[in-house]
Amino acid sequence: MFSFRILYDTFNNQDLLFSMPTKTNFIKSIHLLATLLVLAILPTSCDSSGSGGQAGDENKIVVGATMLSMQNEFVVNVHDEMEKKAEELGVELIVNDAQRSALKQVEQVESFIAQKVDVIVLNPCEVEASSPAVQKALAANIPIVNVNSATSTTPTAFVGSDDTEAGRMAMRFIAEKLGGKGNVIMIHGYMGQAAQIQREKGAKEVLKEYPGLKLIAEQTGEWDRAKSMSLMENWIQSHGKGINAVFAHNDEMGMGALKALEDAGLKNKVIVVSIDAIADALQAVKSGRLDATVFQNAHQQGATAIETAVKIVKKEPYEKQVLIPFELVTKQNVAQYIK
Amino acid sequence: MKTVFEKPEPVPNKNSMEQEKLVVQHKSDNSVQAFNREKLGKYGILIAFVMLCIVLSVITPNFLTLTNISVIVKQVSINALLAFGVTFVIITGGIDLSLGSIVAVTGVVAASFAHPDTYPLLVPLAIGLLVGIAFGAFNGFIVTKAKVPSFIVTLGTMTIGRGLALILSKGRPVSNLSDSFNFIGGGSIAGIPLPIILLGVVFIICLLLLKKTTIGRYIYAIGGNEQAAKASGIDVNNIKLFVYTLSGALAALAGIVLASRITTGQPNIGAGFELTAIAAAVIGGTSTSGGVGSITGTLLGALLIGVISNSLDLLNVSSYYQQVIMGAIIIVAVSIDTISRKKGD
Repeated sequence: MFSFRILYDTFNNQDLLFSMPTKTNFIKSIHLLATLLVLAILPTSCDSSGSGGQAGDENKIVVGATMLSMQNEFVVNVHDEMEKKAEELGVELIVNDAQRSALKQVEQVESFIAQKVDVIVLNPCEVEASSPAVQKALAANIPIVNVNSATSTTPTAFVGSDDTEAGRMAMRFIAEKLGGKGNVIMIHGYMGQAAQIQREKGAKEVLKEYPGLKLIAEQTGEWDRAKSMSLMENWIQSHGKGINAVFAHNDEMGMGALKALEDAGLKNKVIVVSIDAIADALQAVKSGRLDATVFQNAHQQGATAIETAVKIVKKEPYEKQVLIPFELVTKQNVAQYIK
Repeated sequence: MKTVFEKPEPVPNKNSMEQEKLVVQHKSDNSVQAFNREKLGKYGILIAFVMLCIVLSVITPNFLTLTNISVIVKQVSINALLAFGVTFVIITGGIDLSLGSIVAVTGVVAASFAHPDTYPLLVPLAIGLLVGIAFGAFNGFIVTKAKVPSFIVTLGTMTIGRGLALILSKGRPVSNLSDSFNFIGGGSIAGIPLPIILLGVVFIICLLLLKKTTIGRYIYAIGGNEQAAKASGIDVNNIKLFVYTLSGALAALAGIVLASRITTGQPNIGAGFELTAIAAAVIGGTSTSGGVGSITGTLLGALLIGVISNSLDLLNVSSYYQQVIMGAIIIVAVSIDTISRKKGD
């Protein structure tokens, strides 16, 4: 939508342009041509990375999936597993990337409904804003399975993990390591996203149980390694040796904080824990740099989502809610997670 | 065109004076007033920066320490590199929106060649820089040959760059990099972090390029009045091509430093970096209508942004408020700048 808007504006309002070429008809027609070209390419490139809708085998089950963001490593992992499972079960999987936009996600579900797919898998962008997608699918009698995170409208089935548990797990590890006493820093994910809200909730529950643990600073690192690193560098300036532990809502931010602490020569005094168990973090746990990460099972989530979706279509019995447990990864058990 | 003028005066902004004189010949402006405006505008941002630093060092504990200043400059270095490049582009009257994506794609490409025990350090550096130069040259080529406005061209390459970064990395961060590569963004020489040294070197090169060379004079002339510049025999297209290529190369350098600093090539990094870089240039007195701007001003602009974000973190201000404060300060800084320019008129 964004790029369409700009193209439209620039085409109609030439004042918007920073430098305008000589306005000959020739150039105008090139502009028009270019605009049309882009318009023609855009929908195909944005909307479907999967192929041709219901073309092909008439009896083949078609699953439409819309993913939060294919720029996120965890989501990419879930997606890869979904594709594997779909191939294994012989169903056709159409995957759309919502690019973190709940609006786009709802539109993608609408187009799945129009294509009459058999079942939809939704990896929600947001709790509230992605809910209309669930409502629309249910209203059109197309079953919908949420994977990884929740929407406020209950879908046909939910496959995911309880993020509050991950927050509790990470903070409990810190509490035990510090003997229930010390100064803790928390680096949040994008404020307002389900994972951030629930991981914070879980961590703060544990903090309440240990009055000796003090949360001395908290701030969002927007899931981003560079942002979190800068944040940590700044906190080292203000709190210095007063920091005993860091809990980051994901591994990217945990790795950023870790780097800042290492650069300042403080790592051996500070415990760092984060969530997701991405490859980089597992290596860091193995070499004793990162104290712990929490494994969220992308593979099982992706595979189970497709299994559940297919079961629903085939009218086989299925579980309405599959909660895949988080697992704490420390130096002791890290070997089994590294592939 | 050759500008002949009297002895260079010991003033901070000699070249913009030359540039103003160039414009004078075509616009018959008053060169003395124009110069005062420039000078006052430049001191406006300096005054704003110093005042802010004084206030912050009073209210923020640990703000005015040597290590914290080093932390700030290190954090600023990436934005400053981008801002230098975009300053050149903006002075010619253009814009470069592709910077953030070039940072991501060069970071990913350089990281892919920087795994331990694969290639010597020179390989990831050279390939990374080449990718940035290619992007910049492409921007410049389309802007000059197809006469497409830079806003549109770089909007396009912004999207292309992001896509390529994701394709090349398969959507995943490229990690496990060699120690020598990680040294660029993380190491220090004689106690000074390498990104700061790099920033200093690039700053001096850009400063000299814009102030002391013919190319620098031409860049101002093109931004001041492109038709007049063309009429007086300046090869406008080649200068523009050079400016966009330089911007791409500096973005590549920033991408390499960033990838090295966080020890991974991240395909999704850098979204919005171009806006912070443009903000730094504009705060530093670069005019988006072209013809006016300086590298020193841009450095001050970048430092201003860095200082604010650092001190708000030190004060543990919530990120919600940080965004409001940051926006307000940008507006105030540019207003001070604009008002002091007006007074010069």
